Amino acid sequence: MKQKSILIVDDEKNIRLTLSQTLESLNIPVQVAVNGEEALRKLQDGTFCLVLLDLRMPGMDGMEVLRWIKDEWPQIRVIIITAHGTINSAVEAMKLGAVDFIQKPFTPGEIRELATLVLEREELDGVSAVDYGALIELSKRFISDRDFATARETIRKAISADPSHPEAYNLLGALFEIKGDWLEAQKFYRAALDIDPTFKPAGTNLERATSWNKFGKIDFGTDTSDSSAKVSNLKDQDEK
Amino acid sequence: MKVLIIGGGKTLFFLSRNFTAKGYEVVIINRNHEECTRLARQLSASVVCGDGSDAVILKEAGAMGADAVLAITPNDQDNLVVCQLASLKFGVPRTVALANDPENAEVFEKMGVSAFTTTNIIGSLIEQHASLEQITNLLPVAQGRVNVTEIVLDVHSPVSGKLIKDIKLPENSLIAVMLRDNQPIVPRGANVLLPGDRIVLITLPENHGQVIKAFTGEYK
Amino acid sequence: MKNNRYIVIVGCGRLGSILANQLSREGNLVVVIDMDDATFNNLSPDFSGFRLQGDATRMPVLKEAKVHKANVFIATTHEDNVNLMAAQVARKIFKVPHVLARVFDPKREEVYAQLGIETICPTSVAADMFFRAVTNRATSHNGECK
Repeated sequence: MKQKSILIVDDEKNIRLTLSQTLESLNIPVQVAVNGEEALRKLQDGTFCLVLLDLRMPGMDGMEVLRWIKDEWPQIRVIIITAHGTINSAVEAMKLGAVDFIQKPFTPGEIRELATLVLEREELDGVSAVDYGALIELSKRFISDRDFATARETIRKAISADPSHPEAYNLLGALFEIKGDWLEAQKFYRAALDIDPTFKPAGTNLERATSWNKFGKIDFGTDTSDSSAKVSNLKDQDEK
Repeated sequence: MKVLIIGGGKTLFFLSRNFTAKGYEVVIINRNHEECTRLARQLSASVVCGDGSDAVILKEAGAMGADAVLAITPNDQDNLVVCQLASLKFGVPRTVALANDPENAEVFEKMGVSAFTTTNIIGSLIEQHASLEQITNLLPVAQGRVNVTEIVLDVHSPVSGKLIKDIKLPENSLIAVMLRDNQPIVPRGANVLLPGDRIVLITLPENHGQVIKAFTGEYK
Repeated sequence: MKNNRYIVIVGCGRLGSILANQLSREGNLVVVIDMDDATFNNLSPDFSGFRLQGDATRMPVLKEAKVHKANVFIATTHEDNVNLMAAQVARKIFKVPHVLARVFDPKREEVYAQLGIETICPTSVAADMFFRAVTNRATSHNGECK
C-alpha cells in the first residue's frame, strides 16, 4: 500500500517552506497547497493522514476547508495553525473535530513533536491506555472522530488517574461547551483554575463562557423560545 | 548626600527642587540642550548635558562619589542601563529605575535594579479619589502589592458607632491604627469607632475596594 | 541538528536582515522582531522564518516570539540600550543558552561582559581591523625598504 502523506495548507510561502523543511525528518512524504481550493484538489487525488491547516487564508478560509475534510475524509487528522493571539474559534474547530493547535511563530521541535503525537494517537486503544497521558491522547482522538460522548468519558478516566492537571478539566469544560451545557462547562473551567490560577486557557474560556452566558440571558429575556432552540440544536450536533 | 537624576520633564524638575531644598547635592543629566539651560537657570543643581547611559557622561556628572542614582527617562531600556552602569562601573550604592511599562518593574528587579512604576499608583489613586473624598492618603508598599490607606469616618459611615469586633472585614485586611483627637490608639475588638476618627487600613489590591466600601458605604 | 535551531533576532535593519537571511538559508527557524514593519522588506524572498512587529523591550512581545524556546537570541538594533535590555531579559528570564548583543559603545560593552552577556562591538572590531591593516602595511613596507 502507498504510504500516506502530510498536506500543508498555507497561503504564506515562508510557512510552507518552514513546515516542509521541519517535517522532512519524520520520513513521511509532504505535499503543499497554497489555498483551500488547491488543498481540496490534492485531497481528492492522494491519500493523506495529516493536514496542517492555516485558519486565515484568502478565498476559502481554513474553517471551511476543515468542514470539507471532516465531511469527506473523517479519518484525516488536522492540526490548525493560528496567527498571533488567542484562538477565537477553538471551540468551533473542536466541534468539527480539530483538537490540535499550533501558534505562529513555532519552533521546529514544537511542530515535529505535535505531528508525531497526533499520528501516534492512532495506535491507542481503550484497553492499553491507562495512565493520564495516554488517556488524554485517546480522548483527543475521540474528539477528532467527533465521538464527544466517549471523549468525555475518557477524560473523566484521565482525571481519576491523575487529578492534578488543569488541562484535563479545561478540555472537559470545552466538551461541555460543545454540548451546549454552559453550567457544566464553567464548573470545569473553574476547577482548572482552582488547580492553577495562572492557567491561561481556562481563564480565557471561563471569561468567554460566562460572557456568552450573559448574552444568552439577555436573549432569554426578550425571546425565550429562540435561545432554548439554540441550545437543543447544539445538543443534536454533539451526539450525532 | 549626592544624588544623580537622569531624565527630564516636570517630574525631574520638582524632584530636584525637593532634593535641593533638603540640602542634597543634585546633579541632573539630560540629553536636550535647551532643557539643560532652563534647568540650570531655575534650579540650584548642576546640569550635565548628554546621554546618561554613556560612562563618560556619568563620570563627568560625578557618579564615582554619588550616594544615589535615579533614572526617570521615558525609555525603560535607558533607565535600566543607566542604573546598571552606575552600580557596576561606579559603585553607586543605591540606584532606582522608573519602569514606564509596569510589567518591566518585575523585569528590572530580576536584573538586580530597584524599580518603581507610577502607572499602578496613580491609577489606584485616581480610582479611589474620584468617588471617595474621605480618603486622605494612600501609600503603596512593595510595588503596590500592599496598600496603606488612611480614611476619615463621617456620620454616614456604616461603621460609625460600631465595635471593631462587629465589623466584618474581607480576609487579608487590617485596621492598623486609629487616631482620635490626634491620639493614636492601637485598636482592639472592644474599641468603638466614632465619626471623625482617622483610621489607617492595610489592604491588598484585590480587597481594597471592598474594605473602603465597608468603611464608607455607598457614599458619594 | 546544528542547522535546525530556533533563533530570535531583534532588529531587521542591515545587520539583522543579513543575519536572518543567512541563518534561515542554512535551515534554521528564524523569528525577526522589529518595531517598524517596513524593515521586513530587507528580508530576501527565500527567507522562510517569521516576522513579528513589536518593541523587544516589552515582555508580551518577547513571549509572543516564544523566546523561552529559542536556542539563540541576537539583539542587533541600532540602540545599544535596547540590545542590552533585550539580551539580558533573554538570558536571565527566558534562560536562552546563547545570547549575543551588538553594542557600539566599548565602555558599555566591558560592563556587560561581567554580566554574562556576549557582546560584539562594531567599533572595537573595526578599530582592531584598521589597526592590523595599518601595522601590517607598515611592516611589509619596512620589508620592501630593506
